Amino acid sequence: MRLIAHAITPAPRPRVAVSGLRGRPLEWLESAGLGIWSTRWDTAEPLAREDVLDHHRVVEGICAATPCLPVRFGTAFADAAAARATLDRRSDALRDALARVSGRCEIAVTLLWREPSGGSAPRPPVAEATGPGRRFLDERRTRWSASEARRRRAAELVERLVTTLAVEPALVWHEICSSERVAVSLAVLSPTDQAADRIASLRRVLAGLSDVTGVVNGPWPPYTFAGIDESGGVSAGSATRLPGWPPA
Amino acid sequence: MSVQPLAPSDASLLELVDRLLNKGVVLIGEATISVAGVDLIYLGLNLVLSSVDALERSTGGSSGGGAPRT
Repeated sequence: MRLIAHAITPAPRPRVAVSGLRGRPLEWLESAGLGIWSTRWDTAEPLAREDVLDHHRVVEGICAATPCLPVRFGTAFADAAAARATLDRRSDALRDALARVSGRCEIAVTLLWREPSGGSAPRPPVAEATGPGRRFLDERRTRWSASEARRRRAAELVERLVTTLAVEPALVWHEICSSERVAVSLAVLSPTDQAADRIASLRRVLAGLSDVTGVVNGPWPPYTFAGIDESGGVSAGSATRLPGWPPA
Repeated sequence: MSVQPLAPSDASLLELVDRLLNKGVVLIGEATISVAGVDLIYLGLNLVLSSVDALERSTGGSSGGGAPRT
């Protein structure tokens, strides 16, 4: 039997109105002024893809009740002692992270290109007399130029979103051109009581963009901003990925 | 072959799955997600989208002669 971790919250145990994975009891283990929420799980029982989103349900339920650090899905402890030992070893870093996300939530913004790369760009004329080497280089240069133009445009879009949000850069994470279709993936850590206003502001800005489709999600638990300083290192074996996860 | 636009609902799901699998507090130092044999949906937004592109090219390649990019 193992414990699949969901979230870390301050002690004492808060009242939460959510069950664990697949409706099983949610367990609370406390140490160093912190507690870790988990679901007891048979080692031989594989996790299914539905459990990924169920983990999200559990974390949302916990975060609705108290400041909460979501734990990456798939993290499992061999027993209660291992979970408590992890809290003990990283208590300072975990408390700092909890203070950072307390009263805040995550808003996610995804910008999708409306047109494929180079789809509407005019193609440079290629002289019939050019050889295959020249044509190869011309095509490569065209692709590179289109790619660079997209990166510049994506960076402009990020700047516009950050300006709209009027938040300090440390509260924003973003990635540009992560695939051919995604222009921007951005997350902002927002005060929970301002989330609705910020989402509305973002949607207004996105509605005026002609080259991308904007998608705003959230408020979510602060997944992107739950990282802790790794210097507090946990010894090998105190926590492991659950065997059988990810499924083959 | 034209690249199909990604539906907003798909983007939302992929963003969420990316958060669940790649973000959140990490309590383990040595753990990684093995790529081999993993369903594409579990690999996160970037790789998922890249892989969808690759799959579409592969499909187009079988009828149009182009080579899939992986």
